[in-house]
Amino acid sequence: MATEESPQVTRRATRSYSASNTAIESTNPPESYKPTINDLGFRQQPLRLEDLFSSFPGRRSQILELLRLLGPLNSPMFPILVYGGPSTGKTSVTLQVFRHLNRPFIYSSCITCYSPRILFESILNQLLFHRKDSGHSYSSVKRCERPSDFVNYLREALENVITNLKGNSGKVSSKMSGRPDGTMVYLVFDNLERVRDWDKSSTILPFLFNLNDILKMPEVGLIFISNTSPDTYYLNIGYAEPIPLYFPDYTEVDLRHIFMANQTNSRLYASFLDVVLRPFCRVTRQVDELAAAFSSLFKKYSEPLSDKEVAPNEEMKRRLFSHIRPHIASALNETFQVRSQPLLKAETNQETKKTNSSRMPGVREDFDKIDFHMSTSAKYLLISAFLASRNPATLDASLFDSTGVSDSHKRKRKASEKSMDQKEMAEQELLMKGPGTFPLERLLAIFQCITSLAEDSLDEEESHELTVEGGSRGLMSDVLLQLSSLCNANFIIKGGSCPLEGSTRYRTAVSEDLALKVARSLKFPLSKYLYRR
Amino acid sequence: MGREKEKEKLSEKALNLLRSRLSDPNFIFRPLSDSPDSNYSKLKFIISTSVTEACNNSILLLGPRGSGKVAVLELVLSDLLQQYPEAISVIRLNGLLHSDDNCALKEIARQLCMEHQLLFSKVASFDDNSQFMIAMLRECGLAHKTIIFVLDEFDFFAQGKQRLLYSLLDAMQSVNSQAVVIGVSCRLDVDQLLEKRVRSRFSHRKLLFLSPSKEDTERFIEHILSLPMDSSLPHNYAAEFNGRLKKLLSDERFKELIDTYLSFNFTIGHLVRFLFQAVSYMDLSAGFLSLGNFKTALSSNQRQPKLECIRDCSVLELYMMVCMKRLEVKEQASYNFYSVMTEYKSIHDSFQTSDYYAANVCLRAFEHLLQCQLISFIDNKGHNQSVEFRPVKLLISSAELHQGLKSYQQCPAILLKLMDR
Repeated sequence: MATEESPQVTRRATRSYSASNTAIESTNPPESYKPTINDLGFRQQPLRLEDLFSSFPGRRSQILELLRLLGPLNSPMFPILVYGGPSTGKTSVTLQVFRHLNRPFIYSSCITCYSPRILFESILNQLLFHRKDSGHSYSSVKRCERPSDFVNYLREALENVITNLKGNSGKVSSKMSGRPDGTMVYLVFDNLERVRDWDKSSTILPFLFNLNDILKMPEVGLIFISNTSPDTYYLNIGYAEPIPLYFPDYTEVDLRHIFMANQTNSRLYASFLDVVLRPFCRVTRQVDELAAAFSSLFKKYSEPLSDKEVAPNEEMKRRLFSHIRPHIASALNETFQVRSQPLLKAETNQETKKTNSSRMPGVREDFDKIDFHMSTSAKYLLISAFLASRNPATLDASLFDSTGVSDSHKRKRKASEKSMDQKEMAEQELLMKGPGTFPLERLLAIFQCITSLAEDSLDEEESHELTVEGGSRGLMSDVLLQLSSLCNANFIIKGGSCPLEGSTRYRTAVSEDLALKVARSLKFPLSKYLYRR
Repeated sequence: MGREKEKEKLSEKALNLLRSRLSDPNFIFRPLSDSPDSNYSKLKFIISTSVTEACNNSILLLGPRGSGKVAVLELVLSDLLQQYPEAISVIRLNGLLHSDDNCALKEIARQLCMEHQLLFSKVASFDDNSQFMIAMLRECGLAHKTIIFVLDEFDFFAQGKQRLLYSLLDAMQSVNSQAVVIGVSCRLDVDQLLEKRVRSRFSHRKLLFLSPSKEDTERFIEHILSLPMDSSLPHNYAAEFNGRLKKLLSDERFKELIDTYLSFNFTIGHLVRFLFQAVSYMDLSAGFLSLGNFKTALSSNQRQPKLECIRDCSVLELYMMVCMKRLEVKEQASYNFYSVMTEYKSIHDSFQTSDYYAANVCLRAFEHLLQCQLISFIDNKGHNQSVEFRPVKLLISSAELHQGLKSYQQCPAILLKLMDR
């Protein structure tokens, strides 16, 4: 999917990265390369304005506004907040605009610079032309943790850079030497929304927003990039609001332009987009998610064609459409599983930092892709954990009595209005509460019940298959080992200990789909044991 | 062609001039400080008397953000530094940076060392630094030199134990020192935050910074935007520019526009930002400011981020929000992803909508809503619960959602119907 390919490549790349891709790096060994003032520019051929427009379909007005706010050469500016949903081209447009203008800028993303100290040091490293290498064991140029130190160093470094720039601009024509133009230095802070989580937005965020007033240097321009709107930055001290610049989500027409770019067989792809774009736009309009879905769908779409270069006629389109239609329906519900994973993963990481919490969805998606590599006893353990979480403890006896079959249909009585209401309430409550917790003993009891049941049923078919069959003697240690590995894999969450009993309680967040899937692989009749209100 | 280029160069030059003016607080606040009862004159009087009469003093400058407290103070200080170059040294602290006592004292010591060409030790302890400060205060007092401490974001210094404020004010009480403490804050009740031992040592002199009157504002706009006649810009261009500006300023529509803007953003800082935007939108080929520039600036300031967010949502996400709204109408106290999903399913069952997607797709839509803060978790407690089970709430009102749905282009008709029921 060659959408916005050229900007995408440079999108997350820091300048030091893009610098290392240029020819300079390949000839010189990395140690001997010393960044200079030229590195503050984009180090690539400046882009013409028309190219800028054509590489970002649907972003013309935003580019123009950004150019206006940045102003002509050497003119001071007010801080800008660029905001808009994910994958709307905020970062790439900003960076490519700097490439077009060929002005010096410092880019730092608050995702890669995940703490104040790393953010500060990365900015200072770039300003002082310092490059981490093995010579000084990858240390930064200055060690600075506090905003107060940072401001002192920053002011010093900026003054140096600006005098350097001023000295240059007089001498040589900048176009020739590949030097950046002008004497303004721009600081770009990407992914600002991350900063809100750093220290409950008590110091760093107000500091960044007020940086312009603190520095009081007209030669410095600040640009913040965020994927949430300015009203989501609640600061109790207030701040001089930056000028907002809004990037709306792409419309369907823009998306068509984006996806049509760099297609080898544009007619065929256009007919493909006619079919898929509309239904997918109802679910999401994010380019990255659509791109992933479309790349596999297009392969399916062009499958019946022997010659991929052919331009389709009406009849062929119809045939292709009837071929692709079932795939679209499934893709609408499917591909996103894979796509949503990085997002979930990222959040999981962030969350696990704070507490050792777990997010089952991430795991679930893993397992939809790769098949199960889990021992039989672990599967049984997972099922019993699922049962222990879902079923109320009081019902265990009746569910797992000697007959082994729940007789829920017997208990059906005619429901009165009141009991219906109660039932609804209970259902809501259950939904709100999520899976329940259980002590280890209960888990083991259920585990033993269901394995013994399975033993009975499996004995008839293939008795040698059971690994847990070893009886009560060998079983316990093995099961505890399995349990701890399931805990490590976040299938079962070790919760806090119960205040009364003092023993650890467990909880599982395995979704019902996954539990049923596991049960199916074991031929275990899970639904029979599931208590439903 | 050549003339076009020439003209563009000219207007670029004018634009540059205006932009540098707007980002230069000295230029903006200079004309507002002429009159004898302006804050500038009062502040200058207070500080200069304490410099000349060699006494201690403390003042609070209060006013909303962007009302020019620091700018006026800087004007006064620069004037006084010219007037008495030998008798003043200024120490600037900012509450955002130096709210930690240790850090603040270190910064004071650093600036004192810089000022008096002394060697600054980074490893000096809190005690060393505070003794050094007291010694410096005494020395300066003996040399008849006033130290002016400017504490920006004063309310941050009033957090915690207030050790810095105490040691500073106490040193001013006991030693024959000569110092002025100037606190700058946008919290009007900042003196109430002070501890008793600090408050009793603080003179309760306050200067209030208010927003300018309407006439002042007009004068102020003209002062900033009119080009100088005696600069490198050609005389006739500047004259025409100013003539057009005058006409624009007297335009009723323009006045109305400024009034609308000032009705919700009333400080000079806001006005300057607004003018900056308008100036940035100036058409370089025309070279003159027009009413349209100000209109665009106003419209870019009157944004409704939540409505924009709704417009950025997909149809599925709209469904999710409408489901939540319906749950709220049903007076269900709290809801999470699964309760929203049951509602979503029931809608689908009763109306057979075409937009019915699997739970994982919905979960992603749900997370997108969380990300753009149209919904949020009710509490921060349940970190060990997964997202689906944590209770959420809508952050937009029913009216906003309704308006958003109406302005959404491909909004399914059924959603609006569902909202009403």
